[in-house]
Amino acid sequence: MASRGALMLSDKDNVATGLEDIEAGTEVSVRLGKEVREVRALEKIPFGFKIAVVSIAKGAEVTKYGEPIGIASRDIKQGEMVHIHNLEGARGRGDIARGGSR
Amino acid sequence: MNFLGYQRPDGSAGIRNHVLVIPGGFLAAKIGESVAGVRTIVTSDSGSGRTGRDRETIARTLIGLGRNPNVASVIVHPLSPGAGYPELKPARLAEEIAGSGKRVELIDVAEEGSTYRALEKGVNLAREMVLEASRLRRQPFDLSHLTVGVKCGHSDPTSGIAGNPVNGNLFDRIVAAGGTALFGETTEIIGAEHVLSRRGINKAVSRGILEAAAETEERAKATGEDIRTINPVPSNIAAGISTLEEKSLGAIHKSGSAPIQGVLKYGERPQGKGLYFVDNWMSMGSIFAGYAAAGAQLVIFQLGGGGWRGGDILPTSTAVVAPLMWTTANPKTLSHFPTGIDFYSGTVIEGKDTIAKSGEKLLQKVLDIASGTFTRVETIKHTDPTQIYLKDPCF
Repeated sequence: MASRGALMLSDKDNVATGLEDIEAGTEVSVRLGKEVREVRALEKIPFGFKIAVVSIAKGAEVTKYGEPIGIASRDIKQGEMVHIHNLEGARGRGDIARGGSR
Repeated sequence: MNFLGYQRPDGSAGIRNHVLVIPGGFLAAKIGESVAGVRTIVTSDSGSGRTGRDRETIARTLIGLGRNPNVASVIVHPLSPGAGYPELKPARLAEEIAGSGKRVELIDVAEEGSTYRALEKGVNLAREMVLEASRLRRQPFDLSHLTVGVKCGHSDPTSGIAGNPVNGNLFDRIVAAGGTALFGETTEIIGAEHVLSRRGINKAVSRGILEAAAETEERAKATGEDIRTINPVPSNIAAGISTLEEKSLGAIHKSGSAPIQGVLKYGERPQGKGLYFVDNWMSMGSIFAGYAAAGAQLVIFQLGGGGWRGGDILPTSTAVVAPLMWTTANPKTLSHFPTGIDFYSGTVIEGKDTIAKSGEKLLQKVLDIASGTFTRVETIKHTDPTQIYLKDPCF
């Protein structure tokens, strides 16, 4: 099967969604409309999970669909997987409303 | 673009032809066991110990199910713990359903002398009503007679990329043809409400969308918990969705691109045609009955499913009178539920179909089901319980 790579949904996005299981070290073809750019996967990224297409600093917004989906909870390198270990939601945070911290 | 439906006295078109017995409980269940073609609601939400607002929601749900075009006629009985409240008095339920012009029969258990005598009367009535309904013949109706409600669930990244956009394309087609489309799940617009609110037909609708999201977010914060430990649900996270905002931004694609005509309460009937946002709860046990009460003849579960494991039988409709169809864009989900999926939109991800092409195929499937073809789960003789969406504490 031809490589399906990963898909960016907006030019504002800093992550792309993997359309196949991606092995560590793979040069991933990241599509945005008709544009294609190559990003080297630094780790295994399963189908449907997100890959950072640029480096994202701790505290910066992570963007998908052209909109913020949360805040980076640590520095994320280009090519790393982006999921709950390095991305936190900013909404509905009852834990913070009660005086907790991120 | 027509479907074959059953003409009702109020001008609406049923895609199924049921006799409904309400409220749920012993009498309704026993009539249903004895008579073919009878439906009832299976729920413990009787209204007893509930606030006036919640009792009205229950009444709106029962009345709405009775008025649903898929219902030919209705039997109302008084054997429910909530029947003493003014909102839920059997005579009130019967009168409001009868306003649609369809036949409604009221069974008075006290007058019959015992529950079993009332059951005898109910069985005889139901047999007569089913026979009467069976004399109706399907005839062509255009899409302005169709109302469809959608929920997306066990969402995964295929939902936001293909499954939901294809449903959105279906909704655009239904709305363009004069029909009505319902979507909701207020928790799952948090983080995307600013995008959605731009599509309100006026400031009041746009504000209503923002207020619904704000009210739900405040209730979430009041729990003291990080909503990520509640929603996204574990199957979402297992499939790669990281935050509620991400889930919401994918979820709103199921609504398509039409202007939003209004914000409805759970079970509230829209005043006109077009696309409506419903302030409801995402649970499949709850949302579909609300859509059916609002007049939806058909409900859709757009399933991601990438992180959902368990048996291979999908849950049956909790919409009581409206059939449920299951769609997915995930090829793994399709192979996991081979006897459950009615429509597959993963061809978009495989590069074989555009979203518009897949949406056109989905519309053909919807018209086919509306004309009488069963959905996959309609072939299963089992009724999952319905949980009416109540907002207040109980006392």
